[in-house]
Amino acid sequence: MLNILVCCANGAGTSLMMKMTTEKATKALGIEVGRLHHSSLSEGKNTATEYDVVFCPLNFISMFKDAEAKGVRVIGLKNVMSQTEIEEKLKAAGLAE
Amino acid sequence: MLREFVEKKHYLFAEEAADWEEAVAMSCRSLEADGTVDAGYAGEIIACVRKYGPYIVIMPNIAMPHSQEGAAGVRKTAVAFMKLEKPVSFDPADPEKDARLFFTLASCDPEQHLNNMKRLSEILMNEELVAELDQAVCPEDLLRLQEKYLD
Repeated sequence: MLNILVCCANGAGTSLMMKMTTEKATKALGIEVGRLHHSSLSEGKNTATEYDVVFCPLNFISMFKDAEAKGVRVIGLKNVMSQTEIEEKLKAAGLAE
Repeated sequence: MLREFVEKKHYLFAEEAADWEEAVAMSCRSLEADGTVDAGYAGEIIACVRKYGPYIVIMPNIAMPHSQEGAAGVRKTAVAFMKLEKPVSFDPADPEKDARLFFTLASCDPEQHLNNMKRLSEILMNEELVAELDQAVCPEDLLRLQEKYLD
């Protein structure tokens, strides 16, 4: 079971899009998802350690260094609408077959 | 949603924009025209992009200008469409951040906004539809694509 946080600057537009793409990708890969939460960067920075995986646009990955140091998988996305990219990156991270 | 752009007059077809700031301001005009957002909303989006970078270019060629949910100056919840003939650059170092298609978000009602985002993601995840939108030149094209792909 995977708990996932999707984060963007404001938590209102891009993160919602990422959430929908992530839902499709995890379903296609047969990954069991526990929590799938979308939030702003400011909220996400404080709560990231509660999750197994954080997805955010590539340019924001440096904001999650602390969470990464504590074992959270932080995955930057180039195209937040690409189900293929999310699937490939989940596989590359060893989180999916 | 494409039909809604036409019915609510939330669309703009334009030749070009001087820079990304002007493009964002242009993409807000149809929302300003019917009072969906106040004139200051565009400035707020521009300030967000200056602060966080061109994250509003959510996929190659496609910008989704927005600030935050319940932002000041947003009166209604809607999405507006804009197509530029000439792409505008958001990051000179990254041509993948050039955009021609704009979907500008205004949100003050979370439920309605979520519904809009679901419909918008349906559009953006359909590669053929996105490719045809990139060739659209008038509101009739939007109606035609609505019928072809979404009805």
